[in-house]
Amino acid sequence: MSATDPLHSGEPVSWNFKLLSQNNMSGFGGMGEGMAMQIAKDGRRIMWLAHESAPKNFTGVDVTDPRNPKVVVQTALPHADVRSNSLEMSGDILAVAYQTKKKGMQPAGFELFDCSVPENPKSISFFDCSGPTSRGVHQLWFCDGEYVHMAAGSPDFEAANPNDDQFYRCIDVRDPTKPREVGRWWLSGTRKGDNVAPPPRHTLDKGYRAHNCNVYPQRPDRMYLCYLDGGMYIMDIADKSQPKVISHWTNSPPYTGFTHTAVPLFDRGLILVTEESTEDNAKDWPKLIWMLDARDETHPVSFSTLPMPPVDAYKNRGGRFGSHNIHENVPVPTSFQSDQLVFGTFFNGGMRAFDISNAYQPKEVAAFVPPAPNGSKLGAIQLNDVYVDERQVVYTVDRFSGGLYILEMDF
Amino acid sequence: MNEVFPSPAAGMFGRRLRRERGPRVPVIVITGFLGAGKTTLLKRFLGTPEGAGTAVVINEFGAAGIDDALIRASADETVLLGNGCLCCITRSDLQQTLRRMLMERDRGEIPDFRRVVIETSGLADPSPILQTFATDRALGEVFHVEVVLTLVDAENGLDTLGWSSEARKQVILADRLVVTKSDIARGAAEALTLQLRKLNAGAEILKAVNGEIDPARLTESAGDQRNTFVAEAEHSDGISSFVLNETSPMKWTVFSRAMETLLTLRGTDVLRVKGFLDVEGCKGPVLVQFVQHLSPPPVELETWPDGDRASRVVFITRHIPEKQIRDLFAAVKALA
Repeated sequence: MSATDPLHSGEPVSWNFKLLSQNNMSGFGGMGEGMAMQIAKDGRRIMWLAHESAPKNFTGVDVTDPRNPKVVVQTALPHADVRSNSLEMSGDILAVAYQTKKKGMQPAGFELFDCSVPENPKSISFFDCSGPTSRGVHQLWFCDGEYVHMAAGSPDFEAANPNDDQFYRCIDVRDPTKPREVGRWWLSGTRKGDNVAPPPRHTLDKGYRAHNCNVYPQRPDRMYLCYLDGGMYIMDIADKSQPKVISHWTNSPPYTGFTHTAVPLFDRGLILVTEESTEDNAKDWPKLIWMLDARDETHPVSFSTLPMPPVDAYKNRGGRFGSHNIHENVPVPTSFQSDQLVFGTFFNGGMRAFDISNAYQPKEVAAFVPPAPNGSKLGAIQLNDVYVDERQVVYTVDRFSGGLYILEMDF
Repeated sequence: MNEVFPSPAAGMFGRRLRRERGPRVPVIVITGFLGAGKTTLLKRFLGTPEGAGTAVVINEFGAAGIDDALIRASADETVLLGNGCLCCITRSDLQQTLRRMLMERDRGEIPDFRRVVIETSGLADPSPILQTFATDRALGEVFHVEVVLTLVDAENGLDTLGWSSEARKQVILADRLVVTKSDIARGAAEALTLQLRKLNAGAEILKAVNGEIDPARLTESAGDQRNTFVAEAEHSDGISSFVLNETSPMKWTVFSRAMETLLTLRGTDVLRVKGFLDVEGCKGPVLVQFVQHLSPPPVELETWPDGDRASRVVFITRHIPEKQIRDLFAAVKALA
């Protein structure tokens, strides 16, 4: 018997979650970090999921009955060297990112779809980011129907270091047929021609690139921008043409960078910041979810992290172990909203829920670590993202083959 | 530390919960006289899908074990059963036993368990068990007593209730009562049920069939029975129970100060207090529990279960007239 806590032993676990169903996406169960929920005009609840890599683009799943999810549409990418990985939805309009494997390839940008008829998503427009210096869009945020906030390259942006090729771009899509850039921001020193010194490279050098660019209606003039090895920036976007830095937080070095997602909890003056584990066998450990005191937004202070299972129990199970995505309180009617509970995915550490009512002592209250899915080459689950709907149904996806898992909270 | 980062989603008692036990491991306390059929009922339950992952703690040596291996096992040893279940007999401190089980679970030496069933034997008073979870901060954070189940057998139950004050106390403190062997003593079962109803008007009364009940009746929280509480007449032994009802919201300070006074002066005679409060400033019901002097921290639920906002707290006391308690609350309320 293993000499560690069965809840943290690396064995399959279902503690305070009840699995309602699993769907392997018609055999294409490798899912990215785009999860959005639509209530279609006919009343069906459709979950839109981006695939992690080719050949599939995105899949729409009818989750009206969470015990019986049904694929209603699955779209394909034009070739194997592009991935979508990220999508968001506002009303019936779906925004899907396209990122190519190498600079200069196409399609690189994002596409807007009219999903009024979920079975038949219709392309409205494509915003092209392609060029010799660009791989397109890695991550986008689109919740208000007006602006796409994204981490993207551009043909007119050449990075000083090849790892730094994606920055923040704000695209006006109020006329969805004619998306146009209205603003951008990059970390000074990362663009060729900047007259400031480039930032120092981190040991693992994952790059100074934009990642999540979250904007919430409670403060539409603020963006919570994560910049991988650059940490987290609170940005003033009152004037979208000139985003300005309000403050900056980073833990790296000595930590290993890849700051990924920031979720503000406005009523409490807190910000949750995640980083992504990007190395197998936890070589970049620790990868954690951080709690920041942001009561003074000019000076965010980290003071706790969400408790993690012991790294020794998980690091050799196969694939990655460590933090990545959390449920982001997406500002749409179909999203669970909570500043008391956090849901996060940890690759082979599964999906876990935390009670942060005492922000100084967050507690794990539930864990779901399913067995390795069929077709898993790593021999372990790699839960990649999580979304909780307003019914408090929990959705989490496997990065490689397991597809979609739907759960009920039992706490 | 909630006051440092307050939230409209959390009240004065912290995060509002969907259910009383939150994420804690549920505990079911099973009491009953020797021969009432506790072991039979438990064995059957452990073999069901609902019973998987149950840890049984037998709180008194001398009881018939779950199987022969347990009778031979020394006290304080954990034995694995089938269906992911395990069992431990203890003569020693229940707190120590539970702490040891948690350590063994954390070390992976025993399977992860989903619930704990504590079986008392003979004429044990369930109060000390309830107090264990009310006072031990570490255990109270991990475990939550969901239901106190008392088994009474139709053959001998009525007789035992007549001569044993401990037996009557087990019934009075129960959340749920199970009449066993009613197939053997059909007529006696009806008379027994009437007597059980007199002793405990609020408890659900079930009949075991061939030593079995619906597994859900064993595991379901007793919190759902709030609506069935009714006022009680005084029993023998000086034990009485009544329900404190209030239709308008109550200040928390009024309730807590009144209880503080009551418990300071007469704590040993406050056998059990349990119920929902409509507290001023709280959106959901606040669940309160006291076992003599001791109480776990109150919790607030997200919503009122039946939409009916009204305080309903059951008091089971000994030699304290109902009027004195009502007058105490009225006096504190008038002063507040």
